[in-house]
Amino acid sequence: MSKIPFTGVYFQHYTNGHTDSINLKQIEEYAKNIPGVALIGNSNDFPPVDKKSFVLKIKNDRVKRIVLAGYSPGMSQPFFAGVLSELGLNPSDLIICSFKEYGAIQSDETDFAKALLFCAIMGVPIETTITSNKPLVNEDTLIIGGGIAGIQASLEIANSNHKVCLLERTATIGGHMAMFDKTFPTLDCAACILTPKMVDVGLHPNIDLLTYSELKEVSGEPGNYKVKILKKARRVDMKTCIGCGICSEKCPSKAPSEFDAGTTLRKSIYIPFPQAVPNKYLIDADSCIYVKNGKCGVCAKVCPANSVRLDEQDETIEINVGNIVLATGFQTFDAGKVEQFGYGKFPNVVSSLEFERLVNAAGPTGGAITQRSQDKKGNWIFTAETAEPESIAIIHCVGSRDVNQHKYCSKVCCMYSLKLAHLVTDKLPEAEVYEYYIDIRAYGKGYEEFYERIKDEGIHLIRGRTAMVEQKNGKLHLRTEDMINSRLIEQDVDMVILAVGLEPRQDASDISKILGIKTDEDGWFDEVNYISNPTNTFSGGITLAGVCQGPKDIPDTVAQASAAASQVIQNIINGKVKVLDKSKSLEEIEAAAIQLSTIMEEQS
Amino acid sequence: MSYRLNPKFKKELEKLGASSQWNDCFHCGNCTAICPLTEGQVLFPRNGIRALQMGLKDKLVASSDPWMCYYCGECSETCPRDANPGELMMALRRYLTTVYDWTGLAKKFYTSKSWEFGFILFWAALVVALFWFFLPLRPDAAQMVNESGGVMINSLVAGINPDQFVMIIHYGDWIMAGIVASLLITNILNMFYKTILSDKKIKVPFYTYFTEFWQIIFNFVTQSKFSKCDDRSYWVGHLLLMTGYTIMFNLIVVALPRFQTEAVVEWYNWQRLLGYYATFGVLFFLTIVVIGRFKKSNTKLRFSHFSDWIFIVMLGLTTVTGILVHIFRITGLVEATYYMYVVHLAVLVPMIMVEVPFSKWSHLAYRPFAIYFSRLKKAAVAKQDSVVLAPAI
Repeated sequence: MSKIPFTGVYFQHYTNGHTDSINLKQIEEYAKNIPGVALIGNSNDFPPVDKKSFVLKIKNDRVKRIVLAGYSPGMSQPFFAGVLSELGLNPSDLIICSFKEYGAIQSDETDFAKALLFCAIMGVPIETTITSNKPLVNEDTLIIGGGIAGIQASLEIANSNHKVCLLERTATIGGHMAMFDKTFPTLDCAACILTPKMVDVGLHPNIDLLTYSELKEVSGEPGNYKVKILKKARRVDMKTCIGCGICSEKCPSKAPSEFDAGTTLRKSIYIPFPQAVPNKYLIDADSCIYVKNGKCGVCAKVCPANSVRLDEQDETIEINVGNIVLATGFQTFDAGKVEQFGYGKFPNVVSSLEFERLVNAAGPTGGAITQRSQDKKGNWIFTAETAEPESIAIIHCVGSRDVNQHKYCSKVCCMYSLKLAHLVTDKLPEAEVYEYYIDIRAYGKGYEEFYERIKDEGIHLIRGRTAMVEQKNGKLHLRTEDMINSRLIEQDVDMVILAVGLEPRQDASDISKILGIKTDEDGWFDEVNYISNPTNTFSGGITLAGVCQGPKDIPDTVAQASAAASQVIQNIINGKVKVLDKSKSLEEIEAAAIQLSTIMEEQS
Repeated sequence: MSYRLNPKFKKELEKLGASSQWNDCFHCGNCTAICPLTEGQVLFPRNGIRALQMGLKDKLVASSDPWMCYYCGECSETCPRDANPGELMMALRRYLTTVYDWTGLAKKFYTSKSWEFGFILFWAALVVALFWFFLPLRPDAAQMVNESGGVMINSLVAGINPDQFVMIIHYGDWIMAGIVASLLITNILNMFYKTILSDKKIKVPFYTYFTEFWQIIFNFVTQSKFSKCDDRSYWVGHLLLMTGYTIMFNLIVVALPRFQTEAVVEWYNWQRLLGYYATFGVLFFLTIVVIGRFKKSNTKLRFSHFSDWIFIVMLGLTTVTGILVHIFRITGLVEATYYMYVVHLAVLVPMIMVEVPFSKWSHLAYRPFAIYFSRLKKAAVAKQDSVVLAPAI
């Protein structure tokens, strides 16, 4: 113990606006009693006005090592590293103790924050004191979410010869990617990349596909989970349905198509889209006449395979797994929340997802970009017959980078907006496309080149956030400040595309409660460490893949899904799950840390 | 025109009530585009934030744009960064008031409560002292009641006849108005120098000084730009206050001998009706503003600088004491009428002396003149453009 060098602890008094945050004062009091602590300071106002006396104080207190503690104290690192080298000490003796990094955020985690600080002062990595290994009882893996992330993770694990159960809420796997027309920056057809993978999943002997099912309950511990799943009644027998589609032809009732983002209508007995996996029909209970009042049942009468089970009920099943991969993805921001843009009020103000379907060859107009028009009943629909828009405006950052909605950047909108602009000029060479952006964020491989390419295609890029969209004389009137030329632009266009951001699924917090993992302030699932351990959670047996952890594009999602799969495979091969057990008491962690530091001293 | 950077400039503005929120601005231009009053050459508030972030003090001093803003609050409500551009415009108006004021008192009043209260108390004490020493209540004042039971207000002072008393107050009013007017006029000349003359590039065509002159009167009377703001009811309320006060001011400064008479005229008489309209207009809008400033639900009233409260309290006290004088007169309470009359003047005089030339109320002159100056600038730029552009084609 006596050999622990004198340590100076500097606190950053900032908690990122959490209302019920850890008690920093209590931690500071605690730090005073830790052996070896010679100096306690405040790192809020750095760099200090009087650096000389600051350095002198550290020298006089014979401090040999500095610990920066706080919610996220890395900001002052360069300054303190400079101070250490100025004193002739080793800059690597500067230890960052970030409470946020280890998820010590709320007030009930104050003790864990103390433990983090104790380990930092002792020079012992916290992981070594709280890691414990749980035996892997079950080798099967549950993957929640059948989008590109879930598909990729399933295939990786299944290909390594381990059983996977892929859980999907809707009737088909594919997720948002199946709805996209093209991918950036290569402009590959999204379906051409995705559908082979979907078919692979459908046919894979190691993958057990559970579509139209929801997670209900999870019990047990890492390595041995019991999972209750609600299998919603599909009302069509999956084994015997041959997918002929006669039922759908005859079905009299209709509902908006989820796959076409509500731009078209589908029947109540339907298949989400022609390439759906599994390629079987199902009945939407909300719109089915038979479910509502017991009359109809046409589908059952016409089915040649006799597969319709109109009175089928939901059932709950239970499975056992050792690992869980969470890949629940996102939902797009509801553009109606930003009233200025008139979404939902003006028919030709569309969300980017709707436009993505419109421009798709399998979409409502067969890929023709047209304006919305009213049908005989007065509903606003897309048809191939109506006039093409002569001008289209794309408004960036709808719901993103806005303190009134989501303050984060959704990361994908700039690039997909550029892609949409390209698709418009491709299909309508005469049309003018205006992009109103705040900043263009073209990070990533080939993205900047893509941006340059689209710029050369004659698209008008205007730096300025459109403040409002109004309808005047049948045109949409936009008011924007053109920042670069310092002028007000009042532009009339035929169609407005709102580049909506990504947000956590509405029920993400329910999922987090079921699985016992945390969400961050924006609602995304929290990882152990965004930089060095981005797929793991503190629950050990639960890993994250894709957008459910934070906005990312398809390449990043696929990469992370593979990383999550490797984590699972590692657990399976090792036969154990590494768990960071935050529930250990402060005393236990202290004892472990002291023990470890003595061993380390003896060795050195 | 080149500008000097002044990084310390922001500190100056923070003293005038600009919270550091403006520093969050990431220049998306939402505020400028959503503002119903921006057009062509007049782009705000983002330009102002930019100039402030860069420390372009000279540019801001030469700009009359902050006066074009009537603070509807739309920009602050929709700002994606919560940078509060609307309140910054308010602070910039306070700043410009201090810039135009050559005496330096405006700056003292906006930044120091003791200066402001001291100045108010000085004028209040002066009024009270003048009455105490030169215009005391006459011993037999209790008899000064006319046939209808009303107080003969001009006969309450010892040693002088009623006509003399009215004329003393009348001349006092004129002296006060003269001081205020000369301060305002010199400040406006200063404003003219800073916004038009200091920019050597701008050559205002001489005739436009006359052709655009009607703008000043038109905008003073109607505040038509204000009516373009989204919340029109606020403009109506403000118009009630403005017309109410203007009428009252004219009654007491221009027409005091006819307004303040011994006989209490019938209620349907024009002076009384005008007086009632003015009182209602002022009180109505003041109540709305006070409720708004307390509730803080309305963006434009959410942030209150102490000078805003002083203005409201002074104007409210003036109105209330005026009403009380009127009530005491009608009901024949002689002594109460006299003392309330003194109190009324002891509030009114400091309010006019502080607010009109040096503080919030100076906007009554700066706003119409800012519109006038910006029209002059526009005309100048339009003419110069044609000169420059013609050969280029």
